[in-house]
Amino acid sequence: MASRTLAVWEHRKVVGLLVRRDLKVKYQQSVLGYAWTMLEPLALTLVYYFVFGVVLQANRGMPEDAGAYGGYVLFLVAGILPWTTFGAILSEAPRAMITHSKLITTMKVPREIFPMATVGTKFIEYVLTWPVLLIFVFSLGGRFTWEGMLLWLPLAVVLTFMFGLGVTLFLSAVNVLLRDVERLTRILTRILFYGSAILFPAAMVLGSGAPGWVKTLYEINPLVGIFQMHRTVWFPGFEELTPSPLALTSAVVGSILMFVIGYWTFRRLEMSVLKEL
Amino acid sequence: MASTYEAAVTSGPVIEAKGLGVKFAVNRRRKRSLREMFIHGSKRDPNAEGNEFWPLRDVSFDIAKGDCVGIVGKNGTGKSTLLKMIAGVLLPDEGKVSVHGKVAPLLELRAGFNDNLTGRENVYLVGSLHGMSEKEIDERFDDIVDFAEVKPKFIDTPVRHYSSGMKVRLGFALISQLEHPIMLVDEVLAVGDKAFKRKCYEAIDRMLANERTMVLVSHNEKDLRRFCNRGLYIKGGALALDTDIDSALAAYNEDTRVEIEERKKKDEAKKKRAEAAEKKVEAEEKPETGSEDTGGKDGGQAA
Repeated sequence: MASRTLAVWEHRKVVGLLVRRDLKVKYQQSVLGYAWTMLEPLALTLVYYFVFGVVLQANRGMPEDAGAYGGYVLFLVAGILPWTTFGAILSEAPRAMITHSKLITTMKVPREIFPMATVGTKFIEYVLTWPVLLIFVFSLGGRFTWEGMLLWLPLAVVLTFMFGLGVTLFLSAVNVLLRDVERLTRILTRILFYGSAILFPAAMVLGSGAPGWVKTLYEINPLVGIFQMHRTVWFPGFEELTPSPLALTSAVVGSILMFVIGYWTFRRLEMSVLKEL
Repeated sequence: MASTYEAAVTSGPVIEAKGLGVKFAVNRRRKRSLREMFIHGSKRDPNAEGNEFWPLRDVSFDIAKGDCVGIVGKNGTGKSTLLKMIAGVLLPDEGKVSVHGKVAPLLELRAGFNDNLTGRENVYLVGSLHGMSEKEIDERFDDIVDFAEVKPKFIDTPVRHYSSGMKVRLGFALISQLEHPIMLVDEVLAVGDKAFKRKCYEAIDRMLANERTMVLVSHNEKDLRRFCNRGLYIKGGALALDTDIDSALAAYNEDTRVEIEERKKKDEAKKKRAEAAEKKVEAEEKPETGSEDTGGKDGGQAA
């Protein structure tokens, strides 16, 4: 186990190279190139802004005085941007091993490197959505707080990518043996989008008349807590927008657990995966 | 896992294989097999035998430093599988293979190039993936391109526009620049035109003169005789012979000859039977109209 971790560390350069290659290939034949990493989330958020902010004038489930700090629109953008990254991880996770089959079958490197590269690419793309987010923060009057920047932001980012890596390790290995996983993931992503309170504050569900066990179940979804954190960065101090102790615990425990399960499965299936590639 | 520590200590064999075996499930029902993997892991349920197939089993050998070993055998006897296990890209179900020293990537067609990147980008990418520093590649880049005979104007076009020969040449040119002490070569020498082949030979000679260890899988006897001082003959998934290359090839050729003769006999027997059957049919003539009937029926159903 320790030697394996060391081997992965020794090959960190390979991860970097694969990430760079993925980004290069992705934007190679487009005129605007890397600008797309920012244009895409910008266009997406603008669509949401017009639909929910301008047309529907939505302010659902938001606390009264949050309006001064960017209100629903900032809340939406701060959730949608990390979600697009996370959704992209989910959609590429099943193919993380298959697309690299050529390299995997000729090069001796720790195989974890390939899922890590996939998630690494998405991380870079996530970082590049930040300028878009900042545009909204500045224009809507969002505020920077120490609590948001030093507590919630690092926690949210670390948990998102830890969970993402766990899922990628799991799906990339299983999908080689069981190609149905790819399709299943697509449906699951849709469900999770609504199940993780991206378009509305989680408090709306928790404050509704649903039975208690449904609410508990809802909060046990680690993604609810994780994506609440992404928004708490800009709205610290608002009770309704801060993850509850249960959501916080399930986010932290759930991410670690997902990572462990993902890695365990990956190592367990490694031998069969190599034969099938 | 080959560690550098071992490499420093060792003075014995560079590649050691002990009781190597690998197993593939034939016609497996994926669901069950996936469940099994979770339950039993690598040691699978001993009762589930029957539909598994061992392309290789109980293969043991040592390869010393500086050896060039040729692996011969019929198609599908596990030569490439063996090479993959030495390369560490396939894990054995049984036994152990330990390799002391860095292994160059399995030399194979295309060398892991990405079709969407240019030749130059691919050389840098694959070169650094295999542990070359940027400076080293800078230094050798011209040599590589020159060796591969890729015209300068093509080096900046995407590799997908390359001919298959060009890709292989570039791949070989790159990998021949690696300084790994162990090289594994899987049937690449068959590609490329005569002039390029000659260059490859020279490159391999150079590598071998450099005290490097090489394992070669090929069907080309001339290549094997030229480079190898040892031959492993693999027959039906087991190591049949471990001698010098000439005896290995001789044994292989002998077996092939026997097999061809057997097939000839079989074919002849079949022909005779067919002729006999034909005569019978001609004599009776009835079954033929019957078969035409069924043909008509089928057509009707399809429509």
